[in-house]
Amino acid sequence: MPEIKVTPLGAGQDVGRSCILVSIAGKNVMLDCGMHMGYNDDRRFPDFSYITQNGRLTDFLDCVIISHFHLDHCGALPYFSEMVGYDGPIYMTHPTKAICPILLEDYRKITVDKKGETNFFTSQMIKDCMKKVVAVHLHQTVQVDDELEIKAYYAGHVLGAAMFQIKVGSESVVYTGDYNMTPDRHLGAAWIDKCRPDLLISESTYATTIRDSKRCRERDFLKKVHESVERGGKVLIPVFALGRAQELCILLETFWERMNLKAPIYFSMGLTEKANHYYKLFITWTNQKIRKTFVQRNMFEFKHIKAFDRAFADNPGPMVVFATPGMLHAGQSLQIFRKWAGNEKNMVIMPGYCVQGTVGHKILSGQRKLEMEGRQILEVKMQVEYMSFSAHADAKGIMQLIRQAEPRNVLLVHGEAKKMEFLKQKIEQEFYVNCYMPANGETTTLFTSPNIPVDISLGLLKRERAIGLVPDSKKPKLMHGTLIMKDNSFRLVSPEQALKELGLGEHQLRFTCRVHIQDPRKEHEMVLRVYNHLKGVLKDYSVQHLPDGSIMVESILIQATAQSEDQGTKVLLVSWTYQDEELGSYLTSLLKKGLPQTTA
Amino acid sequence: MSQEASRVGHHVTGVRPALDELSVTWQGGATYNDLHVFELQEPTRVIEWIGEKSVCVAGYENSRRNEILQLLLPQKLCVKEKQGLCPERDFKVERGGFSDRPVYSLRHVPDTSLLVTSGPPDSSLQVWQLAAEDTGVIKSVSTIPTGNDSKKPWAKIATTLARTSCVLHGSRVNNVQITEIESKKNIYTADPTPKGQHLYCQSQWLSHVQQLGLVVLGALGSAASSNSNEVSGLEFLDCNTWLACCVKGQLCLADVRQPQSPLGDTSVPSALSGEQWCMGVSSGLQGSDVNAPTIARLSSGGQLTLTDLRNIPKPLKSARCKVSAASQSAEFLCVSWAPVLDGCLAVSGFNGTVHIYDTRSWPVSGGEAESVFSHKGHIFSGMDNSSDFPLVTTHAWHPWKPRMLLSAASDGSLHVWDWAESHKDS
Repeated sequence: MPEIKVTPLGAGQDVGRSCILVSIAGKNVMLDCGMHMGYNDDRRFPDFSYITQNGRLTDFLDCVIISHFHLDHCGALPYFSEMVGYDGPIYMTHPTKAICPILLEDYRKITVDKKGETNFFTSQMIKDCMKKVVAVHLHQTVQVDDELEIKAYYAGHVLGAAMFQIKVGSESVVYTGDYNMTPDRHLGAAWIDKCRPDLLISESTYATTIRDSKRCRERDFLKKVHESVERGGKVLIPVFALGRAQELCILLETFWERMNLKAPIYFSMGLTEKANHYYKLFITWTNQKIRKTFVQRNMFEFKHIKAFDRAFADNPGPMVVFATPGMLHAGQSLQIFRKWAGNEKNMVIMPGYCVQGTVGHKILSGQRKLEMEGRQILEVKMQVEYMSFSAHADAKGIMQLIRQAEPRNVLLVHGEAKKMEFLKQKIEQEFYVNCYMPANGETTTLFTSPNIPVDISLGLLKRERAIGLVPDSKKPKLMHGTLIMKDNSFRLVSPEQALKELGLGEHQLRFTCRVHIQDPRKEHEMVLRVYNHLKGVLKDYSVQHLPDGSIMVESILIQATAQSEDQGTKVLLVSWTYQDEELGSYLTSLLKKGLPQTTA
Repeated sequence: MSQEASRVGHHVTGVRPALDELSVTWQGGATYNDLHVFELQEPTRVIEWIGEKSVCVAGYENSRRNEILQLLLPQKLCVKEKQGLCPERDFKVERGGFSDRPVYSLRHVPDTSLLVTSGPPDSSLQVWQLAAEDTGVIKSVSTIPTGNDSKKPWAKIATTLARTSCVLHGSRVNNVQITEIESKKNIYTADPTPKGQHLYCQSQWLSHVQQLGLVVLGALGSAASSNSNEVSGLEFLDCNTWLACCVKGQLCLADVRQPQSPLGDTSVPSALSGEQWCMGVSSGLQGSDVNAPTIARLSSGGQLTLTDLRNIPKPLKSARCKVSAASQSAEFLCVSWAPVLDGCLAVSGFNGTVHIYDTRSWPVSGGEAESVFSHKGHIFSGMDNSSDFPLVTTHAWHPWKPRMLLSAASDGSLHVWDWAESHKDS
């Protein structure tokens, strides 16, 4: 029985380090190659030794697919391809291909240059890794090899985020990566067609969360920024450089415009600027509104938001600064934080998740005294706020996507298994499908019953239609033909065509039946009586009396023989081919009943 | 279905205001300390607190399977004082279960992990178990049948901390009963046989007053037709006395120890008949007199009447709510006392609004009452473009945050809001 096997190496009942192995119709595909932001040891990367102990990864994997540029989905890629060793194709969308190396380089710098780790991938490795990447367009079917094909769908999570359909023959799997079913300011909503995959692998980060509306979160965010600026404070917003930063920029820009505010807004040079450049470049990946207004006004060219210079941090008066990195673990955001932390008028707004061990995580958990480099104690007097703007599908969104794609099975990853039992039951009951939640290293096997497409020859189709009375497209129809399996394809053709193609001679199968008839009259008179009788009974058939004395009913031959010794009994030979079995049998039974007496 | 249709018809000319209008009010008025807007997958008409940190909601759709969800309140809304940061502002689905029938009433049995629900097509009760921590499932445990009269309306339910093994339920005054949940044993039934045809005379009430410290009124006899004594709300006053409010407006008070006297008050608070009524009972715990809860009754015409149980025939105060149109049906009528704010009550069920009134400022025979605050959020919350305004289905006060309420509407919206006290009324 054909089967699909799924083994998460990361993100199984867990968030972080997404990496899922899929075996489908003999092809092995790796979905995402992420790192875990919470660890600095071996657990940081997926355990690739699971794939092969000593062989080359390239021999075991047909391709690698990256859903989007977040590091928990692509952070292990250079390690995987350059240090463990993989030379096969890596697929990602164009924006992901453009942005992913920037984030990898940024991450490498923090790990190696700041934290001083040595056993890590180098800049050159990132470059070499990116050379193996094949960029794909949305809805473009990419043939990985003769049998394996992949196709990207819009996922709306960040710029360039995609869901991927992986297809071999009639079997298919859809992997969602991270997705968002509600459009926001700069991105659209995820969409997929009714592709009915055998399996849908969906993220479930917010599966058990009922989220406060985005409007309320944004209003509170604006209120906080506004209040702080009004009392002359400085607001620091550490951001992840790409993704939500753009959403917040548009939000603040609009608010500043509407409220006619004068306090300056800056964003740190480098990453975000570069990111905005990419947003402009990949304008087709943003939402409709931004695309529409693009000609008149580029939404990513801000009127109120200017580039930040290090010296501005000491300027008097209120200001708002977007700075990287998002978790305050290094770089510019941390520098500004140290400068502003002592003043209670100031505020830091953390717009996303922070990994344990980072300054961001410490202040979010309420720590007010921080030990900085050189045993220096930093007292945090500024206000600390948290606002989560990450865009994931909630339970409603997951159900929506399942409804769109109509999969035969569902598998949940990228979420906590605890508390998900209810969601699993809900999916199973509403869609009558199986729902799985494997842990890391645990393999889920599901059996498929693939359909086998068969081409029908036009001649056969025409012939069958000619026989049928009224064609009804909704009803199944029985067809007779010859199945030819040749050159990896299946065709249903008429027997004649099959014989011709295969160079075979036709064999005929005939049945001949003897029917005894009590009739003292002469042979030809008896035949005439039979002829008249049949002609009377079989009005819809062609009944012929041939010159040689035999009778033809359609293609069935009836002949009289005089071999009987008894003069009163005549013998009729009824002969028909295998194809006419039905009519032949009917005729025999008719004749066995004898001829009507009245005609005498 | 017909109710649904009539509601649509009623508001068919309404035009939904633009979504941005609300955000303007928010910025301009600054009337909320907190406002959180959630969208449930299916609308609920129950919001039941499970302890202080979670609530239960449940679907009430007739045609399909409904969900019962236990939602963990956002951390932000449960902490007593501001200690550090409360990053979470989302509800978490703690547990969930599926009900084959619509859930019209849901009560938690205090101190246990049991829920009791009821809903059409009959008056039976469903018992559920909030399962052990990490499975996250609400399991159906048993059904408490109430005879096979399928014409009985769905049962109203009450539970009490004073009697956690039992549930009080009934659809009509004469079939109110107390059932032991585990054994399903019926341990009390209001007298089903009609007694006197007349009311108890005044002196008899007074003797009851002295006897019970409570006012009890005339027997419910056959004089009242079976429809008129349909119950709209039930409440335990203590472990032995219960109070029912009839759809027609009468209050009915009974003592379990005197099974012969399911007593009621046939006097309707106002002369208006044809209206439907519901009640809210003040918990009385923070009040001065523990034994004297105040009953608020609300009619589908917007009439509000406050009654002291010691003197039922003479309402303390009454007033008229400003409702644009009388409620088409009393289906979602809801009145409740604030657990912390003395004399404040919340009213909903007429439209997409929840009104807060301060009854302390009412004159004895008041005219139109002025609301202290009105939450109009549900009017704006619907994301679909139907011209039908959402109707608030229920609301519930936060147990100890004075001005915080949860409210739900027919479009599936669930709001948590904490209104800011304006300078005018402080």
